[in-house]
Amino acid sequence: MAGNSFTRRRAILLLALTSVMLVTLDLRGSGSVDGLRSLFGTLFRPVERVTRVVVRPAENAWHGITDYGNVLEENRRLKDLVAYGEGAGIAAIASVREAQELLALNGLPSLAGINSCTAQVVGQSPSNFAQTVEINRGSECGIKVGMPVLNAAGLVGKVTDVYDGRSVVMLVTDPSYSLAVKVVNAPPTTVPSASPGDSAVDTTSTSTTTTTIKVTTTTGIPGFVPGSTIPPSTVTNQTLSPNVTVTVPTGPGQINKPGSANQSEITVPAGADLPLRETGALEGRGISRQPVVRFIENQPRFGEVRIGSPVISAGGATSLAPPDIVLGTVSRVMKRSGSLGPLLEVRITANLDALNFVRVLLYQPSTERPVEP
Amino acid sequence: MIDRLIALGENGWARLFLVALVVLSFQTTIFNDMRPFGVCLQVMLLLAASAGLARGSETGAIAGFMVGLMYDLVLTTPLGVGAAVLAAVGYLAGYVHSFVHEPTWWSRMLLAAGASAVGMILMPFALTVVGAEGVLTTRVIGVAFVVAVFNGAFSLPFERVCRWALADSTQRT
Repeated sequence: MAGNSFTRRRAILLLALTSVMLVTLDLRGSGSVDGLRSLFGTLFRPVERVTRVVVRPAENAWHGITDYGNVLEENRRLKDLVAYGEGAGIAAIASVREAQELLALNGLPSLAGINSCTAQVVGQSPSNFAQTVEINRGSECGIKVGMPVLNAAGLVGKVTDVYDGRSVVMLVTDPSYSLAVKVVNAPPTTVPSASPGDSAVDTTSTSTTTTTIKVTTTTGIPGFVPGSTIPPSTVTNQTLSPNVTVTVPTGPGQINKPGSANQSEITVPAGADLPLRETGALEGRGISRQPVVRFIENQPRFGEVRIGSPVISAGGATSLAPPDIVLGTVSRVMKRSGSLGPLLEVRITANLDALNFVRVLLYQPSTERPVEP
Repeated sequence: MIDRLIALGENGWARLFLVALVVLSFQTTIFNDMRPFGVCLQVMLLLAASAGLARGSETGAIAGFMVGLMYDLVLTTPLGVGAAVLAAVGYLAGYVHSFVHEPTWWSRMLLAAGASAVGMILMPFALTVVGAEGVLTTRVIGVAFVVAVFNGAFSLPFERVCRWALADSTQRT
């Protein structure tokens, strides 16, 4: 009995000493401990993998029981987000249509006035270097070389070869692609140094920090206040300069709005709230590299280009695409020394890796038209 | 070669190692994922306690040490802490069980639950001793309770497995 007790004590002591030694070795960062862990991991991981496969149905059943409420809640939340996104999308479409109507009303070119041809991407270039895709519509649809191609997300590229029943489209990321673009920068937020009691500045008694923009009266047009709502009956004909004349109604009922002549109001946005634009040239840089925009000037009014600023086509007589086609957003701003403006990396909104249906705008730029002999 | 494998299979400690390997794989997969009341159930602790209940305190301590060492090797805690705690649990289960006159199934379940609860309280103490911070909180009590209830409920099949696995080694000692 005494011998048995001695053996037991010796075994317990040995285990305790071994534990202390192992803890010491591990805390001192011994390589042998790491080697032991690695060796055991090699032995254990296959067993663990097999067990994971075996117990997966049980785990799924467990999560089905315990996480059911959370999944329902998340599903509801995501449905709300989808509904919100759809609502915002519809509002955006309505805004775009209104803008197009306004452009058409003023005789300005817009995408609404350009015919298009819908096509499907049927293949990609087998080369590792050319960034082209092939679409299943060609000359029979009126497609010509140079026409811009876009999908629901934005500009995709331009047509480079046209055949009967198929065309080849060069993507915007191709190094030989270049396009005049506009970068729309949000205006810098200004905090006015208004004195107390200034009626133009809204003050709040809460602790929330609010940014207010002081509205200034344009001295050239008496009674014209940017950002204000003015009744149509109060504006008059005014001459701003020898070349510019603003003609507006002068009396009640002069506004051309049927049925609401006396109640209608014109809201003039404040000039400071309008987004600022600067033009540049977008250039592709090849596979796995985002295109860049060059020739953006360092103008104090334009301010620093912000990440996320939209990049849209600039249009113009020599441009490859009509104006106001979305290309992407600024993802990175690279400052350059001297008078050189910043270099902007652009994240293209269209997913060029998964193109399916595209729209070819039947708009042939003047630079792409064949020269007649 | 086959003779050697058969001889290895006849060794109780080798069998316990293989059983512990399987139980450890369950510990790191299904029991790591299924957390009732936010508590990760500790089947390795149950295996150590069951070894003590099945084959006595000395065998329980050695089995607990082995099982704990295997658990340490897949955890990020210092190597040896889990081994020491599980050895203590195995020893405690076997030692207390030796005082029970005519043990019944429910007394063994209670002992497994008690030993598991002690192990779950000892573990944060041991980790604190070796320098871990933030482990010794009041949450330990709730964790120990949940683990004790689960381990008590599943102690009988585990004890049977340990009794089978350690049969040879017990006969030798």
